[in-house]
Amino acid sequence: MTTKTIEAATEQSEQVSTEPVITELAEAAAITFLDRSNASFRLTEGGMLAVEHDGKQHEAVYVHSSFPHSNRASYLSIRTIENKEIGIVRQLEDFDEATAELLVQQLQVRYFAPQINKLLKVKEEFGYSYWEAETDSGIVKFTVRGGVGQIKLVTPVRLLITDVDGNRFIIPDYTALSDKEYRMIELYM
Amino acid sequence: MRFAFSLHFLIQNGVDDVQSDRTKAQLLSQMGVAEKDVIYELLCDRSVEGGFRDTLLVLTAKGLFIACSRKELEGEKVFRGFPLKKNKRFRSLAMVTPGAGSSSEPEAAATADDWSTEHIPLEDIESLSIVNLVASGLLVVKTKEERAIAAFTNGLMSRASLLSKLFDKVKKGEEIEPELLEKNEAEENCPACGMIYPEPERRICPKCMKKSAIFARLLKFAVPYKKTVAIVIFLMLLNAVCALAIPYLTGTVLFDQALAGKGAFAGQIGLVVGLIILFRTLSLLFGILYGYLNAKMAISVVFDLKSAVFTAMQRLSLSFFQRRQTGHLMTRINNDSTELQFFFIDGLSYFIVNLMNIIGITVILLMLDWKLTLLCFLPLPLVILLVQKAFPKLWRLSWRSHRRVSALNSMISDSIKGTRVVKAFGMEKKEMTRFHGVNQNYAGAEQRYSKLSGTIFPVLNVLTQLGGMLIWAFGGWMIMQGEMPFGLLLTFVYYMYMLYGPIEFMNNIVGWWSHCMSAGQRIFEIQDAVPEVQDKEDAIHLSTLKGDIELSNVTFGYEPNKPILKGINLKVKEGEMLGIVGHSGAGKSTLVNVISRLYEVNEGAVRFGGIDVRDLSSSSLRNHIGIVSQEIYVFSGSIAENIAYVNPDCSIEEIIYASRIAGAHDFINKLPDGYDTIVGTGGYDLSGGEKQRLSIARAVLHNPRLLILDEATASLDTETEVQIQEALEKLIRGRTTIAIAHRLSTLRNAHYLAVVEDGKIVEEGSHSDLLAKDGSYAGLVKKHDEALKMNEVVLA
Ligand SMILES: Nc1ncnc2c1ncn2[C@@H]1O[C@H](COP(=O)(O)OP(=O)(O)O)[C@@H](O)[C@H]1O
Ligand SMILES: [Mg+2]
Repeated sequence: MTTKTIEAATEQSEQVSTEPVITELAEAAAITFLDRSNASFRLTEGGMLAVEHDGKQHEAVYVHSSFPHSNRASYLSIRTIENKEIGIVRQLEDFDEATAELLVQQLQVRYFAPQINKLLKVKEEFGYSYWEAETDSGIVKFTVRGGVGQIKLVTPVRLLITDVDGNRFIIPDYTALSDKEYRMIELYM
Repeated sequence: MRFAFSLHFLIQNGVDDVQSDRTKAQLLSQMGVAEKDVIYELLCDRSVEGGFRDTLLVLTAKGLFIACSRKELEGEKVFRGFPLKKNKRFRSLAMVTPGAGSSSEPEAAATADDWSTEHIPLEDIESLSIVNLVASGLLVVKTKEERAIAAFTNGLMSRASLLSKLFDKVKKGEEIEPELLEKNEAEENCPACGMIYPEPERRICPKCMKKSAIFARLLKFAVPYKKTVAIVIFLMLLNAVCALAIPYLTGTVLFDQALAGKGAFAGQIGLVVGLIILFRTLSLLFGILYGYLNAKMAISVVFDLKSAVFTAMQRLSLSFFQRRQTGHLMTRINNDSTELQFFFIDGLSYFIVNLMNIIGITVILLMLDWKLTLLCFLPLPLVILLVQKAFPKLWRLSWRSHRRVSALNSMISDSIKGTRVVKAFGMEKKEMTRFHGVNQNYAGAEQRYSKLSGTIFPVLNVLTQLGGMLIWAFGGWMIMQGEMPFGLLLTFVYYMYMLYGPIEFMNNIVGWWSHCMSAGQRIFEIQDAVPEVQDKEDAIHLSTLKGDIELSNVTFGYEPNKPILKGINLKVKEGEMLGIVGHSGAGKSTLVNVISRLYEVNEGAVRFGGIDVRDLSSSSLRNHIGIVSQEIYVFSGSIAENIAYVNPDCSIEEIIYASRIAGAHDFINKLPDGYDTIVGTGGYDLSGGEKQRLSIARAVLHNPRLLILDEATASLDTETEVQIQEALEKLIRGRTTIAIAHRLSTLRNAHYLAVVEDGKIVEEGSHSDLLAKDGSYAGLVKKHDEALKMNEVVLA
């Protein structure tokens, strides 16, 4: 590991009182953090993300968010198709704006899920519920299997709904729903 | 040239078959592809960047043709399972995934300019692969460099992996088996209404499945109890008749005849009062009697139902349970059957009784005085309205508070179970705060419920009484006019109060009924589920499992396009021991799952002595294969029962031998209750290693031809392991054994070793061969030795 990454980890830990512990942990974990000083991202002609890190080229890498629900744009794990981690981007600010945009776009590629702005109708019939909703990608209609685990709170306010095929839909803040909409989904939560 | 904007909709919904064919044909001709050259087509529904957009991929011998819509999808995106009203007709076209989703209403007909087309020649493409995203997939072609050509949502996954598979075949110039294409054409929609089955493996259309059919099916469970049913209904009838006589006796007969000194009962007050008491007692007796009989019967019916479901569950394959988390499944079956039990006891019988009452009362009232009867029914609509408006709300609130109680309970149970952790980290304060929050939530919900129920019921009471008052007023006036005797009025009032209860009940039973039918449906769902691993009709039954085990080109994944085993070829000679090594997650357990046919292979075949496992009956496999799996499980019961689980008829001595071989005998004898110690839920807590030894004993006692040890000794200390090994060695001799182990020393007796890495066998051969190769196995051994040395240092 480069000394830089340790330094970076130390910097971060300075805000926390348990500084020595964190430093020890960081050293033990030996995670590579990527920032503008040691890595550069670009889009290949084929539209894939490529990264150069410590002089090494990695074509076709994928951006995995460590906290896809609570904090999507932080601690981005950059991985190859073989699921090998090249490094972690701690926050988008560690890169220039164009790169940040690129990374956000790649997050969208991986985590795309329609965000529900408005629930139009939820109807239950025989163990399945049929949903109609307005999302940021247009109106969607989908079917959710009854039972536990299909509709769950992934943060205190964010609701994740999984349909029969595993497609995901998101209500970013269920407390912001109107009373009427809330009543539609209350029984499933 | 004009194209309808959305191909999906047209093709999938068959709105205009002719037009959709034309649209597709036009796109093909735009790309210069002749229809007959098309090997496979896939309409991807997601753009790479996110958002819904169509991309048509066409595979021909010349390569890949891509037509990409320039516009985001307009209109709506409909995912699998959602019933579409407009398309009564459904047509499954070769190019369309039945049900992977569709877009609707071609809002604007668009021109060919809305599609950009492209052709990538076959020779330029190195590979076509799928990258798994979250709930989606990405199709990546590798030409000079990698390129994402399209993305699709989860529902298209199996079709996309077929495309990629077909591409490989085309690229290699291999022939394409027609079955490969047929498999995907299976009907996935209900023939009656065209709705897509929410789950393809469950050929049940929730729409067309009639509640009455479920009800009829539920009633079938009562058929063995016909006699009881007849008696119960007869008693109900008696009960209703007796109950109906009372108001007439207390009103008309008592006041207008006995007291007024007229009619049949003139002056006989004592007799009338006696009759009233008699009828009340009789009605009560009949009520108690049928209630008792009915409850007894309902419990038996539900018991039968539960056993039917449990029997059905036993024949289902593992994957059914894995898809539906067994824990939830069990609670659900239990809850559902309890619900049905209540329905049978309370719902159904009250329904019959109340129905009899309503009909009886109405007839009597009409016969007595039709004008007053109409008056009686006057406040009724108001009552029904109120009940219909308020009860759902009440129900919702009660549900909410019920849920909060569950949250509270599970929190308490969590923190009690985790007391050790809570205390060890000094987190009591935090737990208290957490509890406080949940508790407050519950209190709030409970209060809201009480408030509403506190308002509704008094209002309902007032309304009911209003009806009474109306009758009193109008009836009183009629009495004054001399048009009606006082007793009759009293009779009316009594009957009216008797009427409101049943009507309220009838109002509720509709909701209750459909709720219970859902419960019934869920239960039948399990009974109806078709096991994926199923015996063929002409399955071969072997009295003993003989011969070598052979895996040829086995590919398997728990989910489509996530192959865990990739093209495995392996041979285990009869009577020999095969050792499998590899990192965790490499697919070792999966490999033995497939060999023992707990799962069916996707491609290739597993053969025992030349016979495909798919042709063997499951009993000939199960009787001769003993597995000690990584996940150890003890059943509730005594240790002896646990060991003798598969062979309950074995002798005590055999149990002791088996546990001796498994190295369990000593620790069992140390227990105060010995072999009678109750283990499992609520019983004595065995350590991980002890449980493991029990399951080894179980397998040993089973005396299988093929013994599979999946990290069977992983949680044992080295010394115990060596002991067990020595004991096992004698037993293993002459039997086919497959052993998976972390500690390589465990495999020192293996005749043959296979190294699994990422679902493939990367090395195989004997211990010395592999060492000589100096490859993965040698690496593992080296690391293993180092670890051992460390151990020695630490121990020293
Ligand atoms: N029931 C299952 N459903 C889906 N994936 C599974 C299931 N069981 C195992 N896997 C996955 O299959 C892979 C191989 O698992 P396994 O065969 O248990 O590995 P090993 O036994 O070599 O440690 C792992 O990535 C695991 O996550
Ligand atoms: Mg395993």
